[in-house]
Amino acid sequence: MEEKEFERLLKIARLKLSEREAARIKKDIDEVVRYFDKITRFDASDEPAYQPIHVPTKFRKDRVSRFDDVEMLKSGSKLHNGYIVGPKL
Amino acid sequence: MPSYIKEFLKAEKPEGYYEALVESLHKANREYNAFNVIDENVGQSGNAMPFSTKSNICVKGVETTAGSKMLKGYIPPFNATVVERLLDSGRFAFIGETNMDEFGFGTFGVNAALPARNAFDKNYVAGGSSSGAAVATAMLKYHVALAVSTGGSISAPAALNGVVGFTPTYGTVSRYGLIDYANSLDKIGVMARNSDDARIVFDAMRGGDGKDLTCAVGNIGSKKKKKLFVIEELDRYADKTVRANFSGLLDRLSAKYDIETRNIGALDVAVEAYYILAMAEASTNLARYDGYKYGLQLKDLATRYNEFFTEARANFGEEAKRRILLGTFIRSESVKAKYYTKAARIRAIIIKRMGELLKEGFIVSPAFPMQTPKISEVERLTPVQTYATDIFTVPPNLGGFPHITFPYHYQDGMPMGAQIIGEHANDYALIDFVGEWEGEFDYRYKHNIGSL
Amino acid sequence: MKIGLEVHVALPTKSKLFCPCSLDDAEPNTNICPICMGFPGSKPMLNEAAVESALSIANALHCRINNSMSFVRKVYFYPDLPKCYQITQMDGAIGSGGYLDIDEKKVMIRRVQVEEDPAQIVREGLLTLLDFNRSGTPLVEIVTEPDIASEEELRAFIANLRSILYYIGVDINKEIKADLNVSCAETRVEVKNVTGIKSLIAALRYEVARQNALVKAGKEIARETRGYNEKKRITESLREKETEDEYGYMYEPDLTVFNISGMRYVPPVYVSKIAEELAKGSDMSPKTIKEMTMLDRNSLELITKLKGKYKMRSIIHAIQRYKKYNEDEPRQDTIEKMISLIDAGKLLAGDAVHAIKAGRSVSIEYARLNGPEIDRVILEFLKANPHVLSEYKKRSKTANLIIDKIAKAHGLHPKEVAERLALILKRHK
Repeated sequence: MEEKEFERLLKIARLKLSEREAARIKKDIDEVVRYFDKITRFDASDEPAYQPIHVPTKFRKDRVSRFDDVEMLKSGSKLHNGYIVGPKL
Repeated sequence: MPSYIKEFLKAEKPEGYYEALVESLHKANREYNAFNVIDENVGQSGNAMPFSTKSNICVKGVETTAGSKMLKGYIPPFNATVVERLLDSGRFAFIGETNMDEFGFGTFGVNAALPARNAFDKNYVAGGSSSGAAVATAMLKYHVALAVSTGGSISAPAALNGVVGFTPTYGTVSRYGLIDYANSLDKIGVMARNSDDARIVFDAMRGGDGKDLTCAVGNIGSKKKKKLFVIEELDRYADKTVRANFSGLLDRLSAKYDIETRNIGALDVAVEAYYILAMAEASTNLARYDGYKYGLQLKDLATRYNEFFTEARANFGEEAKRRILLGTFIRSESVKAKYYTKAARIRAIIIKRMGELLKEGFIVSPAFPMQTPKISEVERLTPVQTYATDIFTVPPNLGGFPHITFPYHYQDGMPMGAQIIGEHANDYALIDFVGEWEGEFDYRYKHNIGSL
Repeated sequence: MKIGLEVHVALPTKSKLFCPCSLDDAEPNTNICPICMGFPGSKPMLNEAAVESALSIANALHCRINNSMSFVRKVYFYPDLPKCYQITQMDGAIGSGGYLDIDEKKVMIRRVQVEEDPAQIVREGLLTLLDFNRSGTPLVEIVTEPDIASEEELRAFIANLRSILYYIGVDINKEIKADLNVSCAETRVEVKNVTGIKSLIAALRYEVARQNALVKAGKEIARETRGYNEKKRITESLREKETEDEYGYMYEPDLTVFNISGMRYVPPVYVSKIAEELAKGSDMSPKTIKEMTMLDRNSLELITKLKGKYKMRSIIHAIQRYKKYNEDEPRQDTIEKMISLIDAGKLLAGDAVHAIKAGRSVSIEYARLNGPEIDRVILEFLKANPHVLSEYKKRSKTANLIIDKIAKAHGLHPKEVAERLALILKRHK
């Protein structure tokens, strides 16, 4: 993996690494990707299975119900007039 | 072997039993790090069997971190369905949350702030990622553990701590309230000291749930099989000692079962396919940890959002960062077909071929390819070397097949575990199998905290 | 010029797309739960009514509808997105390859997809305030091919789309939300998050002018994502927007491949086509009928039922007069009574309409003259009293006196006289 690609991934994933961490993880990732490359040599044209079992179709009926502890959902956030304060845009 | 749950519920408990239990658990925990949280109120549920939950299962009002700094201080406002059901049954009392590799990312339990230690010898790994669940089960006499497997996180630690580790068919147990690692692979299961207890807990928590669409397998069978299959392509992955002991097990089993060697022809790439899918899913699941709604809180909301998120997400552990980056890479438009889609195709082949074979009989293998390593030894392993040790546990997990691990031998004082895999929804047959085994093999425990 | 649109339409459900939280207006962050807040451990459960509604839209837009559909995760980091990925659709979308007729042209529809709305952001000074009541609102995104070639076509597309949606029961009177793709030359520029038809047109005009100026100056148009600044009425570069490659789409494993064959949906109504049919052999143009019925089901039904029995002009006239004096929808019998009076040469003022509606006999006092007849008496009055006009030019209150006099003299409703007089005076001013 080229340095540029590694930088791109860090940016997309919103991660920053210390220099030491970056060196180590970059090396690991190269090794893991080489390891993954083994599957490219395996011949498989079956329809992909994104789930291990057949999950039957089931919908939720359009009924309203209230969550019983709304206040607790907000307990970890900074609040301002009932709004949750997020980071600056 | 009789159920500890039944025995416990029937038994007369001495005055102050639960208080003493909590106290001795605290003491043991300082050495073994099995628990992240011990609930002092365990005795308040009346006559009920203590159960623990892995730290990625939400328990209302109890700090639930999935072993991550990102979730430090997170108090879920709801119970996972499994917790709700065990508590509602009135037969179980919550005793605490168990240690784990961060978000389930690990095979040895060492990707944690304080790694859990093997119940048989503190210098050895507990196995992961449900490390604390296995150690707790091996330490406490009357206790069952809710654990979680994505690629082997129940089997590996259960085997290394000499307990029964049961991973049900994908979709039999609701994942509502389970902090996701890889949604198409995550399964909540049980660790217990015998198969009967695993069955009782499984029955108490399984079944459809209006809060998890994928929880869709309702009818569980117990189709007995006469055949046991050994998978040829996996044989070479076990080390010499494991192979020797395992062949001893096969000799014993051959008295009752026909043992045949078969080839799946795709399991050589199962671990690779598994990690590709797991990391792709994990990298999306971990996107939500951005530092201002729950868990870790960054103070300075005046930081611009991209820098803010980046600063918050620096708190992931190293393995989490690795998996986020790899998962993000795998999902990139330019390589997605090559890795992600291809891995899902391999998964389809494995489900099909294993499924066909499992109609005829069970697959039997060691649970772990080597003897329990020391904590100091695994610290030297590269990620690829670590991933490769999942070779026996990945195939059933990738296919969502039920599997159960049971102790079958003790080598140099350390337990060894074997694993039986069954077809989808034939979970009871596996529990029956282990029940039968327990009739002729005694499990050994070093600790029996809470004995009566 | 090539214009493509991605229109976001909120679906008319009671609860959210993946959780049972209410969609009613409420205090900020009160209609929330672990699912629409993206709390770890929560899982989505798909709202059936939202799927039915989306299916109706895909069908009305002539989309290919497969037997099944699935969802993907679209990953990007923004404070309004609770999971930092959005559950949306791509290849497994509910509909694809459709079109919408605008006049003589078809605008191709690439995809109709179901997705969840993020939270609402309110800016207060430097604070980013989030209201998760909106998070999880079911949306349909309608993605067109870049087939729209002018501002007029854009307007026509939106008007027709709005009508089609209205008849399915999806009202977008709340302000249309869309992303706009504009390419005046080779390069495609995306303008994100434009709200309201006015802003959409303004954004288009600005972008066309900007791109044309660049081309004229021999400069290159950058391929980029821009935002529309409503205050300044300009589009501006959004530097930090993810590119398509960075979203890292992946199958949503908490859901499934949903079987949607045999699901209920609302059959479409294409007013343009129906208006053509209704106008055939009538004394009204399709355009008038279309304009009246684009967003008015009751009128369309009345016209369809009464066509043939009465002159189209009288039907339309009766409905228009009814609507002028009433908030509610007219009943057929009321309209028919009104038509017979209109056909008898009467002008129906408000009191008369109300009387008919209430089933009372109509006071002919208020229904004697029709519009041109009133005009005639007003003009006669003005002719006879020329000073009134010059006085009116000094003091506009004089008009009230004129109205009173004429109304009393001819037994007309003052309001009727006032309206006609206003028009006449306007001409004389």
